Amino acid sequence: MIDATVVELSRTQFAATALYHYLFVPLTLGLSFLLAAMETVYVTTGKPIYKAMAQFWGKLFMINFALGVATGLTMEFQFGTNWSFYSSFVGDIFGAPLAIEGLMAFFMESTFVGLMVFGWERLSKGQHLAVTWLVALGSNLSALWILVANSFMQDPQGAHFNPVTLRMELTSFTQLIFSPDAQSKFVHTSIAGYVTGAIFVAGISAWYLLKGRHVELAKRSFRMAALYGVLATVGVITLGDALGFVAAQAQPTKLAAMEGLWKSEPAPMPFNLIAFPDQSLQRNEGAVQVPYLLSLLVTHSLDGTVAGIDVLEQQAARKVENGIPAVLALKTLSKDPHDAAALAQFKAHEQDLGYGFLVQRYAPDLERVTAQQVQQAARDSIPPVAPVFWSFRLMVACGLLMLAYFVMAVLYTLRNQVQHQRWFLRIAVWMIPVPFLANELGWLTAELGRQPWTVFGVLPTWMSASTHSVGYMVFSLGGFVLLYSCFIAVEMALMVRAIRRGPDAPDRGDARPGPRPGIAPRPVYAAAHDQHPEG
Amino acid sequence: MKTFLYFVLFMFLAAVVILLAAMLGDLGAWYFAWLIGTAMIVLVAAAGAALLDTQEDLAATQPGPAAARDA
Repeated sequence: MIDATVVELSRTQFAATALYHYLFVPLTLGLSFLLAAMETVYVTTGKPIYKAMAQFWGKLFMINFALGVATGLTMEFQFGTNWSFYSSFVGDIFGAPLAIEGLMAFFMESTFVGLMVFGWERLSKGQHLAVTWLVALGSNLSALWILVANSFMQDPQGAHFNPVTLRMELTSFTQLIFSPDAQSKFVHTSIAGYVTGAIFVAGISAWYLLKGRHVELAKRSFRMAALYGVLATVGVITLGDALGFVAAQAQPTKLAAMEGLWKSEPAPMPFNLIAFPDQSLQRNEGAVQVPYLLSLLVTHSLDGTVAGIDVLEQQAARKVENGIPAVLALKTLSKDPHDAAALAQFKAHEQDLGYGFLVQRYAPDLERVTAQQVQQAARDSIPPVAPVFWSFRLMVACGLLMLAYFVMAVLYTLRNQVQHQRWFLRIAVWMIPVPFLANELGWLTAELGRQPWTVFGVLPTWMSASTHSVGYMVFSLGGFVLLYSCFIAVEMALMVRAIRRGPDAPDRGDARPGPRPGIAPRPVYAAAHDQHPEG
Repeated sequence: MKTFLYFVLFMFLAAVVILLAAMLGDLGAWYFAWLIGTAMIVLVAAAGAALLDTQEDLAATQPGPAAARDA
């Protein structure tokens, strides 16, 4: 049996690298399409200020992209180094989208990123625009494949377990790609990236407006980011709802943990706005509830019910009992793959094989499993409620805050007044960390809520890890944390330097914010356009 | 006060849009929605920039009233 400390350290290492990596990814996803939008305006209007915008934000995009790739590489290797049993068990399915993701990221995305950076003077305007769109598409399609792989871990579809090879095998690539979890998760994640990109651009533009630097560029960047962001935020909230709906069907334990729902109740069920879940006592302290809201949110009806943890534990206990004969049959089949009786026994119980594995942690000898061990395994099938509950709520709070912020931003920018609202510009700068926080909280909700499984209902986390030593794991975890912290420091330093320097193109617009009655300065792009009629 | 009322109105509209989308899209064709939605978001952002150019051009040609209105 794998040392439990090694399993926990493997989890911590993967979580740490994933959370570090995910500080970079959403900005790449969102900024790429925003760059495409800016360059589209440049190509259609021919106004050089939009070229300056695309080049300036493109520079920040590149800093982020380079560090995002560097942090992402190690994660792909970790599946093999730290999760070797998992890789062996589901590699036939997981490997395909992971390989496509690698091809997308390192061939399509990276090739076009090179053309985008070095092609300004070498490609025609139309060709460069096409390249920028392909960078955006490549970035997001790269994310699609890794999210398809992740969705298989949340809701394993399109595969079945082969008791002879002891591996899962792909049965339907279409089912794998088009699973409801994959669809809603990809769009939710991708659009969350748009929100991140929009808040980043709006925040830095606000800083320029506060400083009275690059005002024309900042006003246009803010306008585009605000409109891009408000629609994306509406989309991300909608898809968040869709993900919850999917989780209610595919991962009821995750949903129960997200809602702190210890006991099943009749419809319409109240929503725990605030609560302090106590896992050992299986109850909430200090709950503040909103009547009817949970049924509405999760089932989209007032008479819908959601299974509580009490019911889910009872179901899990029955599944554990049903899964034990499947694991016993596997042991027989591993000695004689042609044993017809063992094969028949496996077929009769295979749907609960994972739950049989779950109890093996407490009962290595499955011939003599006690009722207490079954209950222990059933209780283990519930994820850690408090972290999931609070990650989810804080993520939603960030989402609603960003929606209110973008609505306000759109109001001010559409009236062309944002440069005069200094209080709002200050808020815009302080909003920059919010989407990054929301993204991290979203992943914590998704991945902590998947526990105790690496592949939900099929493969428990406790048996997925590699058999490393504790010392090796501590050393490599420390190394990663140190290295990635350096990466973040480098990214911050490079970003701050590039932002302080500002766009390369000279900006001779209004140098100071604030109303200037009777004087409407001639926009800088117009003067530049007169001198360099590129369009 | 006017800005606050607009804020409330737009927040209400956003809530209605989210509610409608949630009701209609339990198991929606989300990949397709992403394709259409991304194109729409990019085009709206681009249109916003073009609108700002128009507003600025208007302010340049009609300095007094436009500037006063913007302020």
